[in-house]
Amino acid sequence: MSEMSYRDAIRAAMMEEMDRDPSVLIMGEDIGIYEGTFRITAGMLKKYGAKRVIDTPIAEAGMVGTAVGMAMLGLRPIVEMMTVNFAIVAADQILNHAAKIRYFSGGQVDIPVVIRGPHGAGVQLSAQHSQSFESFYAHFPGLKVVAPGSPADAKGLLKTAIRGKDPVMFLESAALYGMKGEVPDDPNFTVPFGESRLAREGRDATIVSWGRMLQLSLIVAEKLAKDEGIELEVIDLRCLRPLDMEPVYASVSKTHRAIVVQEQWKPFGPGAEISASINERMFDELDAPVARVTGEDVPMPYARNLELLATPHEEHVVAAVKRVLYRE
Amino acid sequence: MEIIMPKMGDAMSEGKVVRWYKKAGDAVKKGEPVLEIETDKVNLDLEAEQDGTLAEVSAAEGEVVPVGGRLAVVLAAGEKAPEPSRRATDRKDSVKHSTGEYGEAVEMKGPRVDRAAAPPVAANVVAIPAAGGRRRSSPLARKIAADMGVSLDQIQGSGPNGRIVASDIKNVGVRQAPSPVAMKAPGGQAGAPVLHAQSVPLSAMRRTIAKRLAESTGPIPHFYLTADYDVTNLLSMRTQLNEALGAKLSVNDFIVRAAALALRHHPAVNSSWSDDAISQHGEIHIGIAVSTPEGLITPVVRNADQKSIADIAAEVRSLAEKAKNRKLQPHEYQGSTFTISNLGAWGIEEFTAIINPPNVAILAIGAAEARPVVNQERQIVVRDRMKITMSCDHRVIDGAAGAEYLKTLRQYLEQPIRLLL
Repeated sequence: MSEMSYRDAIRAAMMEEMDRDPSVLIMGEDIGIYEGTFRITAGMLKKYGAKRVIDTPIAEAGMVGTAVGMAMLGLRPIVEMMTVNFAIVAADQILNHAAKIRYFSGGQVDIPVVIRGPHGAGVQLSAQHSQSFESFYAHFPGLKVVAPGSPADAKGLLKTAIRGKDPVMFLESAALYGMKGEVPDDPNFTVPFGESRLAREGRDATIVSWGRMLQLSLIVAEKLAKDEGIELEVIDLRCLRPLDMEPVYASVSKTHRAIVVQEQWKPFGPGAEISASINERMFDELDAPVARVTGEDVPMPYARNLELLATPHEEHVVAAVKRVLYRE
Repeated sequence: MEIIMPKMGDAMSEGKVVRWYKKAGDAVKKGEPVLEIETDKVNLDLEAEQDGTLAEVSAAEGEVVPVGGRLAVVLAAGEKAPEPSRRATDRKDSVKHSTGEYGEAVEMKGPRVDRAAAPPVAANVVAIPAAGGRRRSSPLARKIAADMGVSLDQIQGSGPNGRIVASDIKNVGVRQAPSPVAMKAPGGQAGAPVLHAQSVPLSAMRRTIAKRLAESTGPIPHFYLTADYDVTNLLSMRTQLNEALGAKLSVNDFIVRAAALALRHHPAVNSSWSDDAISQHGEIHIGIAVSTPEGLITPVVRNADQKSIADIAAEVRSLAEKAKNRKLQPHEYQGSTFTISNLGAWGIEEFTAIINPPNVAILAIGAAEARPVVNQERQIVVRDRMKITMSCDHRVIDGAAGAEYLKTLRQYLEQPIRLLL
């Protein structure tokens, strides 16, 4: 184990896989000479050269289309989006090609493409660059959608993504890049997809979250345990597709209450899917309606104070917990 | 009387206020047009349905109001204004972020309407729907109720809008389980009600009473009720029993039994307070204040309502002896549900006692004395009288409830033959 930032864990995962497998390469805007807008790819051009660390034009559809072609011919490309928001320029390549070619080819052709980049709000990138896309991409069969909430999971999940045979949307929390944590050094350390994790054991209510909101939820859980003796169980989904709800169901059958914490807009968001799944499976176990904590239903403001107001904060989670506990 | 947006045809869901003919404060006559509205098909005038004053104008010109929404209020002379319609209120939030690169813990104050939250519900407002109406209940509560064979009909819900939640059912389950008292052949009092352990959820009113009274007088808000009992018959019966049985029954032994039997009629008096609920105990354990050189201790006569006076006398004597020798075991002085303190032997006419928590009441027994009283024939006669003062925890027991208990106690003390049944 060594202490490592979320940013360095992502770089370490890519470099270990590039060392291990010569078919792995990365392409993106300003990732080579400039070493990445968020410095994720620092040092990689120097180490692996311009054939495997490819600076592209500003042409996301072209980048993903090229990557899909490379994957069809046996390479394992990683596409870095300067922010995941820009991937919507390549939505046709992602949704209609990467996600469907195995199906169309009768299972003959896999598309091992990882599309990754900073995702979500919290770093003052304004309305076009701060969005959350979990529900957008997780809606489509054929894609995998991953959202790590810690440095260790960032490394382990990214390695699984690179080694896999599916197109993966790898959603990194921009606001967590500087977060430090213990990360296994073992080059064979991976975290499998579709295994939600019990991040904190509790008894009174279940919080379901991922990404940056996981860290927010854990902070609230410690605070409520200390101040009010409320013991929250926190489940880290880690993957939105495949979505492993079993730990959530097990937890809800214990606590009889659930709160989903998601960063952005409430309508049709992941919280709705998770809440509906709990209702379908655990209806008779619920002692209160499933609560959702979400961001405000507005385009993300640039101003720091307004961005803070538009995203969930600790008091919102506390209020939702008390609501499901009937302790308002 | 309210003027509401009428439904003009099935497809209509809202209408627009075009203009007001009257303004707030104007007098209106029945049949007089008050405002013009516009639907997707027609414009029409809405008229006052009674004479009176236009007390409230609830929607501005140009405003779109859903069908059934209030437009105005017309008050007849003497009529009171209805509750204002609820409006969403902005909450002032303290905003704090402390994760990741967001983690510079920015704190700011500002209004934020939390649209993610459910509409506000006044805490603990319990609305019991009319008979036959649907009872709101959580799925878990329904499952537990079905498993336990408990009906929801008689359960008071403690959740929002009276929703019955799991904790409400579990409390009832305790009550409906056969209690040890009910299982035993009652050792006393044919016809006296049987008690059940139960937790009575705190109503909003009960919480408020508790909070306010505790703030004013300390942790337990005491109040005191004194009753003067005619114990002539009781003293006479005691003399006869002592002679017939060669026993040494004290007056206090009779009072212990009387107090215990009376408690069976008043479960609220045989209870304990906690911040979440009032626990009514299924058994009656009477603590008896005993003075020792070291100070006061209250050994407990368990299930005193099921014991004869002779049993109580023997037990109290043994406990008092142990108390004076400091030989009481914890189980012999813990777990009382009610306490009696008797200073009659010291010639005290009446006094007030401090409640022995977690009890919610204590009886202070004064001396029995021969006194002149006016009887029902308005003659002055000499009778043996005794004053008993009950200290009550007002969080749990209101004045009338305490008085009812003392009234029941009177039946046992003044018709002591009941104590032998």
